[in-house]
Amino acid sequence: MNEGESELTLAQLARNGASSQPMVSDLRMSAAGAGDLVAKLAPIARFADMFVRPAEQGLERVLVFADDQSGGYLRLICPLDESFPVPLSQVLPAAYQEECELYELWGVEPGGGKPVNRVILPPSAETAEPLRLPGGDRLSSEVRAPHVVQGEAIEFPWGPIRGAGQESLYLGLVTTGEELLDAYLAMFHKHRGLEHRMVGQTLARALFLAERCEGLGAVGNALAFARAAEAALGIAVEPAAEVTRCLALELERIYHHIGSLAALGAATGLSVGQAEAEILLEDCLRLNARVFGHRYIFNLLEVGGVRRGADLAALDSALDRLEARFESLVADLLATNSYVDRLEGAGTIAADDAHRLGLVGPVARAAGVATDLRRTHQVSSTSYVGFQPAREQAGDCLARTLVGAAEVRESLRLVRHWVRSGTPLQDDWAAPGPGQDHVRGPAEGLGWAETCRGEALVHLEVAGGRVSFARLRPAATRNWRAFDDALRARNVFTDVPIVEASFWLTVAGFAR
Amino acid sequence: MTPIVRDLGAQPLSGAAHGEIDAAAARLKRRSQKVLRRSLHIRTVDTGSCGACESEIRLLSSPYYDFHRLGLFFTPTPRHADCLLVTGPGCRAMDHALLSAYEAMPAPKVVVAVGACPLGGVFGADRYTRGEITDVVPVDVVVPGCPPSPLALIHGLLLALDRIEERITLQEGEQ
Ligand code: SF4
Repeated sequence: MNEGESELTLAQLARNGASSQPMVSDLRMSAAGAGDLVAKLAPIARFADMFVRPAEQGLERVLVFADDQSGGYLRLICPLDESFPVPLSQVLPAAYQEECELYELWGVEPGGGKPVNRVILPPSAETAEPLRLPGGDRLSSEVRAPHVVQGEAIEFPWGPIRGAGQESLYLGLVTTGEELLDAYLAMFHKHRGLEHRMVGQTLARALFLAERCEGLGAVGNALAFARAAEAALGIAVEPAAEVTRCLALELERIYHHIGSLAALGAATGLSVGQAEAEILLEDCLRLNARVFGHRYIFNLLEVGGVRRGADLAALDSALDRLEARFESLVADLLATNSYVDRLEGAGTIAADDAHRLGLVGPVARAAGVATDLRRTHQVSSTSYVGFQPAREQAGDCLARTLVGAAEVRESLRLVRHWVRSGTPLQDDWAAPGPGQDHVRGPAEGLGWAETCRGEALVHLEVAGGRVSFARLRPAATRNWRAFDDALRARNVFTDVPIVEASFWLTVAGFAR
Repeated sequence: MTPIVRDLGAQPLSGAAHGEIDAAAARLKRRSQKVLRRSLHIRTVDTGSCGACESEIRLLSSPYYDFHRLGLFFTPTPRHADCLLVTGPGCRAMDHALLSAYEAMPAPKVVVAVGACPLGGVFGADRYTRGEITDVVPVDVVVPGCPPSPLALIHGLLLALDRIEERITLQEGEQ
């Protein structure tokens, strides 16, 4: 299939689909039809998500693909029956995580006898019942993928409790000594069942939970959730509130990327660089508190808008100094050979793998994949004028650091533009969220945001003003998928913290 | 009763608050030298946090707070730890790890619950989370906030030292 035909197919598919909301097309089909189409879509669209939801008759499977050329999402919806050509992860390797989750949540086997990893249920859990289906069949243990370490290699266990101030996860590092041969991750010790908890909750309470899905990404996750709810309820957000949300999103990106630099300083043993980055990080957090009332910008977003305006004078007076100190930090770091040498060539991800695994955000952009929702999936036409996504090709820790630095620069430019160009911003306590007018019959919405770690998606179903179904897909879900691949790429033991700091993902987001 | 620390983190730090850090810091150092005659060692356990509490804990060793100058150190092993800083709502899958860490600590030991999560303020008790970590380990000091700022954490560590001192006095009285 040549490229011209591919683009045409994707655009045609979107046109053929029913549009449930702007930029989203739904194609309903048989399971067999969806399976055939997935194989055609795999090379031309980015696999974004797969989940199972209750339907009028039984369960149905929803696959979400992103169109990174012209923007928009395509959803394939099919009944959950045996005719799905399985296993899906053979054509969409990125979907393996979802296949494993669906087995434990709903008892859905990937089919074809493909073994799945135990992901959500902790290794020690005695229950073997699907988490979502009450009274469902017990899971058959034989579909578990065997986890074998053989030859001269040993598995060095690290976790779930790790270093000071690190999130819990189990990392099994397979090694014969210094070199890393393989890595096994168990990420769901922290599973809080957020999606399950949201069901039956008011939108405000569910947004509170979405924000805490990843505290170091609260704005991005809350924004994706709010947009999903607004799409479901048909709420239009005032332009001033929309820009204020974007302002918060960019302030979050700035502190997040600087936090990654601090972690890289610690991982490479560059104490001075670490200290400099930590000073800047603390300054950013205090600036957040002055501008939006919270160091991590919690409690700002609500469905329909924002709860408060920004303190623009405080922000304006801090921008130049922040930028000057950031540039000086980056220049010093990049002029330190011992630092750059540790990053270069470590934790490399190839562009093909980045596409194959559906990676998002800075991790994908550092591997040469052009994906940034701020360019392609803009919700408002005024917010991101002149926006230029960062991009590198090497896919290693250095490339991710360079992408992070470029993104901070671009975020600072955007913030300065919004603050100084007279763009209308929310400058007072905002109007309250949706009242009873908006509470109508069952409706659904897809929400997205380019968070500091990449695309976050939220699928939400609402009935009577309360959540009836929720699916959260933070960026961490996609990008942790490549972490073990990055570790296997000719690394040694001491590279592990460096690769982790350059990814700078959260376990909380993955485990939900 | 479990002591509660006031959260000073919601507001940006003024010059006065910086003074407060220094005063708290000096007091902390004096107390750890008096009570333990050495540094206070801290082990952290995340039982399902959103990650923001961890970020504030990491900043304790950053130049603004620099808790090493107060004789406070993180330790990678519970065997050397006097104090367990626990974040998160007590995800049940972490029960075993949390309890093992606590049991591996030598006496006298204290547990500081960090943030609203381990107090049950974010999630309730259900099949995923405990809601309150007191079901798994005894809690001596709670530092509320979502997340509590590094300054509030320093205040919490001061109270933890009080608890350790009480226990040492009790032990000496029994001997
Ligand atoms: S207390 Fe708040 S900030 Fe801390 S882990 Fe819980 S939700 Fe996150």
